Amino acid sequence: MFKEIFLFELKSWFKRPAIYLYFLLYLVGSFLLICAATGVFSGNTQDTNSFINSASSVAGILNAFNSDFFLGLITSIICVSIMGSCVQKDYQYNIHSLFYSKPITKRAYLLGRFSASFFLSLFTLSAIVFGLILGFAISPNDNGQIGPFSILNYLVPFLTFTVINVFFIGVTFFSLVTYTRNLTTGYVSALVFIVISGIASSMTSDIENKTLSAIIDPFGNQALSALTEYWTPSEQNERMVPLESYVLLNRLVWLGISLLIGFVTYRNFSFSQFLSPVGFKKKKAQEEVKSVKHIQFLFQLPKAKQYFNFETSIQQLVFLTRFEIKKIVRSVFFFVVIGIAVLLMVVQHNFQDLFYGTETYPVTYQMLDLGAILSQFFLIILIIFYSGIVVWRERDNKCDELVYSTPVQTWVLFTSKFLSLVGLVAAVYGAAIITSIALQTYEGYYNYEFGLYLYEYYGKRIFGAIVLCAMAAMVQVVVNNKFIGFTLTTLLTFGLQIVYNTMDVNNRMIIFNSSGSILPYSDMNGYGHTLYVYYIYKAYWIGLMLALVAFSMPMWPRLKEKNYKARLKYATKQFQRSYMYMIILGLAMFLGFGSFIYYNTRILNEHKTTKEQEKEQADFEIKYKACMKDMQPRIVSSSVEVDIFPNDLGAKVKGFYYLKNKHKEPLVKIYVGMYEPNDIKEIKLQTQNTKIIDDKDFGFYCYKLTKPLMPGDSVRLDFTLEHYTHGFSDDETSTDIVENGTFFNSSALPYIGYNDNVELADNSTRKKYKLDPKPRMASIDDTTAYGNTYISKDADWIRFEATVSTIPSQIAIAPGYLEKEWESNGRKYFKYKMDKPILNFYSFLSAEYSVLKDKWVNPKDPSNVVNIEIYYHKDHPYNLDRMVNSTKRSLDYYTAQFSAYQHKQVRIIEFPRYSSFAQSFPNTIPYSESIGFIAKVDADDPESIDFPFYVTAHEIGHQWWAHQIIGAEVQGSTLMSETMSQYSALMVMEHEYGKPSMKKFLKYEMDRYLIGRTQENRKEVPLMLVENQQYIHYNKGSMIMYLLKDYIGEDSLNMAMRRYLKDKAFQEPPYTTAKDFYGQIKRSTPDSLKETLSDLFERIVVFDNLVRSVTVKKTNNQYKVTMVVNTAKTKSDSLGKAKDALVDDWMDIGVFAKNTKNKDQLGKEIVFKKYKIKGKEQKIEFTLTEEPYMVGIDPYNKLIDMDPDDNVKTCPKSY
Amino acid sequence: MLLKIQNLTKTYPNGKKALSNVNLDIPNGIFGLLGPNGAGKSSLMRTIAALQESDEGTIFLDDLDVLKQKDEVRKILGYLPQDFGFYPKVTAEDMLNHFAVLKGISNKAERKEVCEALLQQTNLYEVRDKYIGDYSGGMRQRFGIAQALLGNPKIVIVDEPTAGLDPQERNRFHNLLSEIGENVVVILSTHIVDDVKNLCHEMAIMNFGEVLFHGKTNEALNVLKGKVWQAQITKEEVEDYRNRFKIISSKVSAGKICVNTVADAQPDKTFTSETPDLEDVYFYYINNQQK
Repeated sequence: MFKEIFLFELKSWFKRPAIYLYFLLYLVGSFLLICAATGVFSGNTQDTNSFINSASSVAGILNAFNSDFFLGLITSIICVSIMGSCVQKDYQYNIHSLFYSKPITKRAYLLGRFSASFFLSLFTLSAIVFGLILGFAISPNDNGQIGPFSILNYLVPFLTFTVINVFFIGVTFFSLVTYTRNLTTGYVSALVFIVISGIASSMTSDIENKTLSAIIDPFGNQALSALTEYWTPSEQNERMVPLESYVLLNRLVWLGISLLIGFVTYRNFSFSQFLSPVGFKKKKAQEEVKSVKHIQFLFQLPKAKQYFNFETSIQQLVFLTRFEIKKIVRSVFFFVVIGIAVLLMVVQHNFQDLFYGTETYPVTYQMLDLGAILSQFFLIILIIFYSGIVVWRERDNKCDELVYSTPVQTWVLFTSKFLSLVGLVAAVYGAAIITSIALQTYEGYYNYEFGLYLYEYYGKRIFGAIVLCAMAAMVQVVVNNKFIGFTLTTLLTFGLQIVYNTMDVNNRMIIFNSSGSILPYSDMNGYGHTLYVYYIYKAYWIGLMLALVAFSMPMWPRLKEKNYKARLKYATKQFQRSYMYMIILGLAMFLGFGSFIYYNTRILNEHKTTKEQEKEQADFEIKYKACMKDMQPRIVSSSVEVDIFPNDLGAKVKGFYYLKNKHKEPLVKIYVGMYEPNDIKEIKLQTQNTKIIDDKDFGFYCYKLTKPLMPGDSVRLDFTLEHYTHGFSDDETSTDIVENGTFFNSSALPYIGYNDNVELADNSTRKKYKLDPKPRMASIDDTTAYGNTYISKDADWIRFEATVSTIPSQIAIAPGYLEKEWESNGRKYFKYKMDKPILNFYSFLSAEYSVLKDKWVNPKDPSNVVNIEIYYHKDHPYNLDRMVNSTKRSLDYYTAQFSAYQHKQVRIIEFPRYSSFAQSFPNTIPYSESIGFIAKVDADDPESIDFPFYVTAHEIGHQWWAHQIIGAEVQGSTLMSETMSQYSALMVMEHEYGKPSMKKFLKYEMDRYLIGRTQENRKEVPLMLVENQQYIHYNKGSMIMYLLKDYIGEDSLNMAMRRYLKDKAFQEPPYTTAKDFYGQIKRSTPDSLKETLSDLFERIVVFDNLVRSVTVKKTNNQYKVTMVVNTAKTKSDSLGKAKDALVDDWMDIGVFAKNTKNKDQLGKEIVFKKYKIKGKEQKIEFTLTEEPYMVGIDPYNKLIDMDPDDNVKTCPKSY
Repeated sequence: MLLKIQNLTKTYPNGKKALSNVNLDIPNGIFGLLGPNGAGKSSLMRTIAALQESDEGTIFLDDLDVLKQKDEVRKILGYLPQDFGFYPKVTAEDMLNHFAVLKGISNKAERKEVCEALLQQTNLYEVRDKYIGDYSGGMRQRFGIAQALLGNPKIVIVDEPTAGLDPQERNRFHNLLSEIGENVVVILSTHIVDDVKNLCHEMAIMNFGEVLFHGKTNEALNVLKGKVWQAQITKEEVEDYRNRFKIISSKVSAGKICVNTVADAQPDKTFTSETPDLEDVYFYYINNQQK
């Protein structure tokens, strides 16, 4: 019997086109996905070390088809349609009673049905595998992105993830639909799973949650990440995805849950129950109430006048809209959906904008971002789903003939449906606003900006929703098939983007419902100057919608005709003049605003595709690379007048450089270039010359001097620049000059000589343009590269002065000391002059600022005073004290431990959130509003990281480590700037907050390093040879320097730094390299640690240490602790290919008392000392008088450890 | 008032002829449209109700071109389709109000008054605050009539309203229909001969999209006057009789089978003369066409 039902089910599906359609959809979808990723159509390939067809990569892709918002939803819809309809159809076609009265056993029925639909689902999903294999087969492989083919790479992930996931969602859908006989419950559960998966993913931004998130993700995606997150490229390429640890646990948990659900369903199922579905309200058939026979005759009916005018139509519209909205908001589904939306926001908010686990204040712009999660995905699904419900409501309830034969106008029907969708959106927005305000209140943030909320949602976002509502409703009307309508609108909103990505098309005019390139809301700059652009794009789309709606409204299925010919014939007859007007108006808007957009994005502002840009870079290199061999004079002085016009979004620069010949030979040619060629108004070299290159397109010029520039001589270069934002562009909006929060730096000014920074960096791209491969950085041994610093190729130390002007309400800032401040012609002027030579690296800022002033007095020399100034946005006073304190503590530490501070002021200047970094210019630190200014440090939690304190200390560190010591343009130089600033900040933090705060910080650093190296697309290098890789110079750097300090002591390490600074600070070329730095460290390191030192700086070494076991024996008030530790050490090559190395290292061994506050944390140290650990396993014994609670090897995780969590173990309770 | 249907033809995309050259003149009063399932009755009704297009032909209600002026038709139309439902969880009162709004009764007080009167009239007033979804079949049909009568329609179309009703409900329904004024064109489609017999002054018989008979109900009986013959036979004889005579209907009565045939003279000694009733006329036309 089981066999018959199973086969019957299969046969009936394979007879229908649906199953083949699904199969094809997956086949083409996954194929295109790969094509997009590997650059089949665009031809854009990137350097990579990881095979995209490795087992872990395939597992990730397969998983995305379950857990990704868009793909996962498609999969769920398809699974619901297969699983659900297997059950549903018996009921739908009223054959259930027939079926159930036949002698079919429950087992055969349920298992047969389920196995068939399970099999069918797997069948359709297996198309992904074929799509992938096909995609990889035709992918270009000039960058080595495709590894050798292995069927196991597909089979194992498919079995591990897809099969179990489909089983899980299948069982759930099957059970739900069996009980409720309502496909909607299936869809809701699908949504819930995807939301859980999304939540699990966002949870990991706090690294303490990794294990939890790995378990709760129903699709095992987080488990996969947790398992493979530290896999180096070579591991990714070679390893199979093993069914172990997180993945095994996750799969077992969810398989168990599935079996449980299945078992419960099976046990409780009975055929008779099937007839009365589980609902929320039990209906009872109404008994007719007998009433007295009436006496009236029909002609006695009161006369009611009928009106058929426009007012009546409007009245009907209002009535029907209210009716539809009532219908929507009274459904259970609506509340489930709102509930999920609120839940999604609350959970996402928990993990929003965490920096090293530190929260931020829930300022309104963050809450708006949070609400945008809804708009991006959730609301779209909701609109599409409900468009089907409302448009089909009459037909679904079989009252279409009743309603459509009344004298109501068709446009009233359509518009009421459309408006009810907009009403639905408005309701969700309301929920979003209430949730946002509730979250703010919960977190004690009471600066409610109600106006802003209302404007953002009901004055802005609603227009995007209107376009989608119109489109969704229209599609439903025109295609006249609910499910095709769903699919079509979904593809239009999500799928089109994928197609464009595949083909490298980036034109917002053809991206449905696009909003233009607009700035996010910032507290400082509000909506900025791009707000109108949003409305331009929406007007453009609304115009199109008007026209399309006018076309489709007559297609409203008022007649019972189903075939297209008849419908079109009727529609043609219905077509009235008013529709014509609508089309004309719509097209006028569409074309009018479209032309305006085109003019702005294609004519007024240039737009280049990735390819065009690459080509240009390649052309520049081919054309001018030869100029590099001509020696150039160096900038020795820069004097500029910068006039900033925030309201006009422009700036004028007038200035001059002095260029000095620092070579031994006379110079004949001088090259001048600009990153923004169009900004040049005039460039004039103040000596007789002929222009021999005058390339306005590239902004590259060459002047041949009539009289050569003799060694030691200087020449003045005058330049006039002008930059204005014109209209709007399709590219990312430039944020250099904005209404409130201008910030740009010296790269906006001319440079001297050929600049190889603009060359193509990616070697596979270079190959395409027949350019030789280029190292990421010159070798540390390449002495020819010692002539430049890694931040400037045309200057060493320069004199600098600037006069910056702006509108009177703002303060304009440049590095240097304010000499003069005045007003003239309704503008405010600030003259800054630097008293000491600085790097050729400076910035200009202008905004409305509040200013906090303070002073630091050198505790060792009261005459040494440094002014501290913080320029901040008035609503962001939260962390000023922390910043000031950090500045003072940093100055304390750095002046005492390193060298004197070269300046007399430190200025921290807030800029809008368009970028989220802080950057150190000479005595001037621009600092984004989004990072430290709104951080919310939990003062009660000793482990909470004082993020503004850390960032400030890091940036002030740069005043030494970059602005005193600057490395040559070779490998390893960021070690002396970024790593050292990181080390400096760590030390200041440790002195301020003590060791516990270090542990958490370093844990993040280790995690980021281990993940960073897995994404390396060229080669990982030892710290000493770092090639500007952030995961090395920041994250690994922190670990290594902290460990080094631990080995040789803070004093001797700092002494080495002092020697180094004394030797190399403010030096002229040739510049210092990491070899000099390392040499000083070596001098301070005892011989016994020399090998360890090599491991730290010259090799890539990773440990995997753990406590295998611990036993405690209590005798005579003494505790005998025996612990067995396992240690492993690997040395990796540049691809992360690890080789086992012999362990022979000093490691911390500790025994700890119970931490009374938190038993999972380390308590008081009973024993803590360094042991030389040799070999793989070692037994260590202690006899203690105090009761031990935990033991550990490297318990503070100072070493880089693949699994840092197993380094401690709790002692057994009974002895 | 006169509804004039001329040369109406409709073929579905699948090739099925729903209406073929239908010509009917329908005056005021209740007009019965009799025919088996699939005869084209609903197609005709929907075409008149502006819910379907025709391929050829015209329909005029006096001067109103029904096929072209659909909006105008909807203003004077009361329609009760064969198969219909209502929005779930809506009470009868709200639902009727809903239709009243759609029919353009803008004045709220008037709307309330007329709705209440109609609910009274259809005997639903006591259960007006119950969900329609929970109504019994008869109640639903009566509600259907209530909504069809909203706004004083000039033409009322009721498509198979009595199918599935128990005798008592059907009776009630007949009473209701018979009250609809004399100044209104009422078209009642049904496959139940009794409906027509009880209610309709004029009638038409349709099958396979064709009008087979059109005229006054009593005239219909005249057609077969003296021509209907009945025989009581056994089960075994049925086959034989079917071969030998033009049997238009057969029914079981007290264990015997009665077969009716139409002939000018007594076909056989076993046959006795019968007074023709409408059913005989109906079967006569239906069976005649099939041959």
